[in-house]
Amino acid sequence: MAASWKRLLFHILLLLVSCRHINTKTPGPTPPPLVPISSLPTDERSVSLKGESHTENVELLNPVNLALQCTWTGNQNKLPNITGFWRKDGDEVENSRVTVQLEGDEYELKRVFSIVSEESLGSYSCVFGSEAKIEFVLAAPQIGEVRDKPIVSYVGDSVVIACKMEETKPKPGSWNWYKANGTDKEQIFVVAEPLRYEIKNEERKTKLVVHNLTEADGGLYYCGAVYAISTTMGHVELKVISFQEPLKPFIAIVIEVIVLVAAILLYEKSQSKKNYTEGNGATDQMNTMTQGENNGPEGSSSTRQRKI
Amino acid sequence: MTNAKPKAEGKSDDDEAPDGGWGWVLVGALFVSTSLVFGLMRSLGIFFVEFVQYFEESAQAISWISSTGLAAQQFFSPLGTALCNAYDTRVVVMTGGCLAGLGFILASQATSLVHLYLTMGVISGLGWGLVFTPMVATVMAHFTRRRTLVLGVGFSSIGLSSFAFNPLFQLLVETYAWRGALLILGALSLNIVACGALIRPRRRSKAPAKVDSERRSSCAATLRRVSSYLELSLLVDRPYVVYTLAVTLLNVGYFVPYFHLVAHSRQAGFSEYQAAFVMSAAGATDILGRIVSGWFSDLGHFRLIHLLTVWTTLAGLFIMLLPVSSLSGSYAALMAISLLYGFCSGALTSLVFAVVPMIVGVERMMGALGLLQLIESSGGLLGTPLSGLLKDVTGNYTASFVVAGGFVVLGTLTMTTLPHYFSCKELPPPQRRSLGNKDKGLDPELEQMHRSPTDTSCRGVNEVCSNLKECEGDNWVTITCWKNAKDME
Repeated sequence: MAASWKRLLFHILLLLVSCRHINTKTPGPTPPPLVPISSLPTDERSVSLKGESHTENVELLNPVNLALQCTWTGNQNKLPNITGFWRKDGDEVENSRVTVQLEGDEYELKRVFSIVSEESLGSYSCVFGSEAKIEFVLAAPQIGEVRDKPIVSYVGDSVVIACKMEETKPKPGSWNWYKANGTDKEQIFVVAEPLRYEIKNEERKTKLVVHNLTEADGGLYYCGAVYAISTTMGHVELKVISFQEPLKPFIAIVIEVIVLVAAILLYEKSQSKKNYTEGNGATDQMNTMTQGENNGPEGSSSTRQRKI
Repeated sequence: MTNAKPKAEGKSDDDEAPDGGWGWVLVGALFVSTSLVFGLMRSLGIFFVEFVQYFEESAQAISWISSTGLAAQQFFSPLGTALCNAYDTRVVVMTGGCLAGLGFILASQATSLVHLYLTMGVISGLGWGLVFTPMVATVMAHFTRRRTLVLGVGFSSIGLSSFAFNPLFQLLVETYAWRGALLILGALSLNIVACGALIRPRRRSKAPAKVDSERRSSCAATLRRVSSYLELSLLVDRPYVVYTLAVTLLNVGYFVPYFHLVAHSRQAGFSEYQAAFVMSAAGATDILGRIVSGWFSDLGHFRLIHLLTVWTTLAGLFIMLLPVSSLSGSYAALMAISLLYGFCSGALTSLVFAVVPMIVGVERMMGALGLLQLIESSGGLLGTPLSGLLKDVTGNYTASFVVAGGFVVLGTLTMTTLPHYFSCKELPPPQRRSLGNKDKGLDPELEQMHRSPTDTSCRGVNEVCSNLKECEGDNWVTITCWKNAKDME
């Protein structure tokens, strides 16, 4: 009896230990996996705000530990303490709410963010109480010149779609091309269809040549400039029309020309017929020429004809 | 004499024409066809941007397309006028219209730049050459008193249509891409055929010569015939040669502001918009100048050649003043000089053609205009590269403009060496010298046009048909009156 009780106690003890172990292992909010901080380069951006809000554009190429520093000169009532926090894309960043002391007539907020991928890019704001806000827009270099009008081409023809990164911006590592398929983008691989697509890349320019167009090729095309941190997109719309399209106004105009010419010639014919019948019947005081005397211009050498 | 004159103005030809006014119909045809030739040529720049992207060629290579077109138009002008002398003007112009349209239609299928040179350049240029000069000559043959005015009205279409065509072409290119737009342009160019259909057939006095020579079909006869169609005999006619030389010198300097004004204004420190606006303003006064000068010249207070001299001298002066005004830094001064230059250059354009029948007579006018176009094109070909060279050598445009203005003034001075330049009265244009039987069948219309108010012989005599006598030179000539074209056959 004592042995079974001992065993039971041992089991219960074992159970309790394992439960505690399990309890401690219950997944609470886990912190996101961090790249080891020491391997990333560091960079710093600081903005000093005098008014109520400010937006700063930050262009990033590579993953970086970015320290953002906000300094605010405060408003009329300089409270000694003020609550400050950080926001990313509108949502408040965890554990960022701090109390800021007024130091040397300024409030300061500083935080380091790990910018590693496309998700880390976006809008970061430091907010002082409910009065002042500085927004940092983190993004890879954007493609500036985007052709807003669609490129028009014909079925069976080939078309060149180009994208260019401005000289003032850093050049991308490479370029990708995507075609919009519903709401997603499908990357275009030249090797899959070498007869139809051709991609010509230079450092800052890229050209997509599409051969043998069909109506299905129309739509939005995206060129992606690949940077270490993310890929920025530019889009161009392609419209493929059949040759019937311009043929309609063409034929309309040709018909108009034919009608005009016919009308002019018919009018002239009717006029001359009318005058012929008129002339034959007319008896004026004017002299009418005699046919015999003048057979053509060569006939007489001293007579001139005068039209009345 | 005075009875028949107004009729001669309004009437077309042997056929019975509607009472007065057919000449004005032809002016309308000239307006439309000139706008479809030169107005179109000037607005082709919109396509060039597309071509650069599609064919991946440089802008310079693409700009050769319009240079080829213009060169072809001027080169084939004598061919066009010779064909009109040999055959019917109507057929020639309609053929020209078809060729111009065909050129653009074929260009829409182009797969390389060379195709564009051949189609838009050569074929369309040939078509334009067959259209422009014959139309101008035909319209001029229908008017005497209002000749310069109708020319001014006809040429004003160039400026007006390029205002309209620029946005239109932009729209076409955006909707149909350049291939479709060229196709539609080809159809538009076919409207020239309709303009040509309006020309009533004329009995050319040269046609009998053809009948004559066909009896002996030797080489010499054919050559003589061809040279008479081309009016090659004009090349030894001193007044014509002097005039052509003057116009060629004029052409050397005339186009320089069109090519370089914008670049020069930018260099002088004005913005892109300001420079473009100066060009547009000069274009607007150009249109105005053509019409005003045409109207004023026809009032008859001054001789046409004197008026032409005035306009060319002023134009040359203003070209020379252009760099001065812009270097002074004042936008107002640049604008003022450009407006004045635009006005003068438009004014002289109307007159340049109108003076030709005064020098060579109306029957030879067709061939004369063709040869004039060909020879003056050499001036244009010389002028633009020369001005570019001067700019490259000196670093700015001042030398180019001054030299251009200098050539224009030199052309004016050459014009003053024309015979009887300094007489105040307009002299009668030369009658065609008789060459065998050919000229006996002179078109009565042309007879009329030779009459000028200052005919000194038989002055004051006003003969009408009933007297069966007419004054020609100093002699009385028997005439036979007829009423209907059919009577002539």
